Amino acid sequence: MQKEDTDILLEMAHDIQDTYGYIPEKEIAELAEKLSESRATIYGALEFYSMFYTEPTGKYIIRICDSISCYMNNSNEVLEAVQDYLKLEAGETSDDKLFTLEVVECLGHCGEGPVMMVDDRLHTQISPGRAVEILSKLH
Amino acid sequence: MINLTVDNKEVTVEPNSTILEAASKVNVNIPTLCFSDDLTVYGGCRLCVVEVEGSDRLRPACNTRAREGMEVKTHSPRVREVRKTLFELIIASHDISCELNCLICNRQNSCQLKDVAEDIGISRMCLTPGADEERESDHSSHSVVREPNKCINCARCIRKCEEIQGVGVFAQASRGPETKVTTFKDRGMGNVECTNCGQCVVSCPTGALHEVYHMDQVWESLYDEQKHVIVQTAPSVRVALAESFGEEPGTIATGQMVAALRRLGFDRVFDTNFTADLTIMEEATEVVNRVTNNDNLPVLTSCSPGWIKYIEHFYPDYLQHLSSAKSPQQMFGAVAKTYYAENAGIDPEDLVVVSIMPCTAKKFEASRPEMNDDVDYVLTTREAARMLKSVGVDVCNLEPEKYDEMLGVSSGAGDIFGASGGVMEAAVRTAYNMITGVNLQEIEVTPVRGLEGLKSAEIPVTDDLTLKVGVAHGLNNAGIMMEKIKAGEEFHFVEMMACPGGCISGGGQPINTERSWREVREKRIAGLYDIDENKELRLSHENPKIQKLYEEFLQEPGSSKAHKLLHTEYVTRGVPGT
Ligand code: SF4
Ligand code: SF4
Ligand code: FES
Ligand code: FES
Repeated sequence: MQKEDTDILLEMAHDIQDTYGYIPEKEIAELAEKLSESRATIYGALEFYSMFYTEPTGKYIIRICDSISCYMNNSNEVLEAVQDYLKLEAGETSDDKLFTLEVVECLGHCGEGPVMMVDDRLHTQISPGRAVEILSKLH
Repeated sequence: MINLTVDNKEVTVEPNSTILEAASKVNVNIPTLCFSDDLTVYGGCRLCVVEVEGSDRLRPACNTRAREGMEVKTHSPRVREVRKTLFELIIASHDISCELNCLICNRQNSCQLKDVAEDIGISRMCLTPGADEERESDHSSHSVVREPNKCINCARCIRKCEEIQGVGVFAQASRGPETKVTTFKDRGMGNVECTNCGQCVVSCPTGALHEVYHMDQVWESLYDEQKHVIVQTAPSVRVALAESFGEEPGTIATGQMVAALRRLGFDRVFDTNFTADLTIMEEATEVVNRVTNNDNLPVLTSCSPGWIKYIEHFYPDYLQHLSSAKSPQQMFGAVAKTYYAENAGIDPEDLVVVSIMPCTAKKFEASRPEMNDDVDYVLTTREAARMLKSVGVDVCNLEPEKYDEMLGVSSGAGDIFGASGGVMEAAVRTAYNMITGVNLQEIEVTPVRGLEGLKSAEIPVTDDLTLKVGVAHGLNNAGIMMEKIKAGEEFHFVEMMACPGGCISGGGQPINTERSWREVREKRIAGLYDIDENKELRLSHENPKIQKLYEEFLQEPGSSKAHKLLHTEYVTRGVPGT
């Protein structure tokens, strides 16, 4: 895809996600039509950016950073604790549609890792216990 | 013109040529992987890097233009070292475990990784294969299997499907080391708008894409005493099979192939060309009727199953334009399980019909419910070659033998079905006779021949009728043709073939890693026209065995019996969400 097309795609995809909370299949097909691309190409491009969802997500989106700084601060322990607690693997949504768990790249707070985000809220220097505590309050 | 040196040899090239092109002019072979002469340049694998005097960075030869005065070093110590490292990284991503051992890989003798390893003199392999997780193979399709463990992310399949086929089944998703080639929402090839054409298979440099094998089932039938196993061979197989045994593309090996298949154990060896003649009888009858009644023109051909699935997905509003005639493969199945079984006194239950096809989509076609299992198994040309090798049959050195007569006699019109424009030419030869009662003076319809993507011709038939015909091959061209038709361009009859060049370069044909696509296609096509030219019988309606089949069994072309057995229907598929 051309750079300009990618920009247009990103803009439209953001709008769609704001409306539906994710990018439904028929919208992908429409994007494909508008940009004269196959729906596989659009799907691939959306997958490239971790901020887009092509399936409905849970009410809360939990993001845990595993880039190098956070990783050095044991982000994997946080991740394991959260996975155990939610019984979810990265990329999955819980059956009750409450939580979607994501492992993401650097969130820009490398000095204060590990970092976990609940929707737009950032939690820094988080311990496994604290992470679970925050989530337990959301039930 | 631009003058430069490649490895100290002077060379002059056209403006805008790449270093790769310049090098090949002086016979310097630069290893490439993601490059393919029929696709746009991708520049992803970097194996083709070269050193350019005065520049620190190494440049990819496939993606760098030759400039005046350039001094290129293609095999300097630095280049060779970098290439080896890159290759190791690529191999590490191409997970070779014991299970994926080269000895059992489908690309045993056409693996481009092996070629490149030889070209760059690989003598070490330090990196361990990379895939931490076993990536699951995609078995969702009737025609093609994808084994992502062997994928090196060269994007050739993506470009082939998009640029040449206009379908766009694959895309790259995710990024960095997680980058993978996948289908829409990981659904698998069998659950998206894939046409089963197999062009991605013949584009892949590795064994990551291959056909769904029917070899085991065929072996089982051959070993089963209860079964009467017959085989049909498509037109294009005879000009390609010999390639798997080291011969040039286009080598005609009809008689040797027949002899070889008898040795393999088939009870009868028949010819799909016979039913190609039958297809012409039915299709030409339909064309004549529809042209006379101005009924849903243009008539679109229906023998390429990749094209059928394409129109079902992308132009379902035009399904009523398709000829209702089944393809030669399926007509063969229908005739074999009725006429042949009756005559030979065989219970159709005990009769196994195998086809050898240049095509992967034929596997899907045979499985369509409308075709009620008339054809039991479909082997690609490659599978047939593997089976023959495994029993030590040296095809090319056998004494030629003849097809079994009943369903084995064919006209040259049947042979040329395998080349783009051939079905049209064959149909015109017969339709002309059906309308005028005499044969064409000049039976070779040359404007519809050749590798031009879109072709057309006007054939004067009577004072009031000049047949306007069109031809497209490669699905992207078929799409362009459909747009023309939509926009109102008028044709009586249009031939559509899914694969570029027609069946001769179908997705089931031998994969030639040494020659350009154009050369391979031209030679195989030349082989087919050669056969036609040298045949006494060149018109489908003059085939005595076809005439006999109508007399004894089908009555006449277009009869209700013919309709029941030899015609079919299509399915609106669309693309979900559009
Ligand atoms: S079989 Fe044809 S349509 Fe399907 S993915 Fe391969 S190239 Fe594309
Ligand atoms: S499947 Fe084959 S052609 Fe496609 S990207 Fe992988 S290696 Fe390349
Ligand atoms: S590494 Fe985790 S926020 Fe940057
Ligand atoms: S062949 Fe030139 S970058 Fe792959």
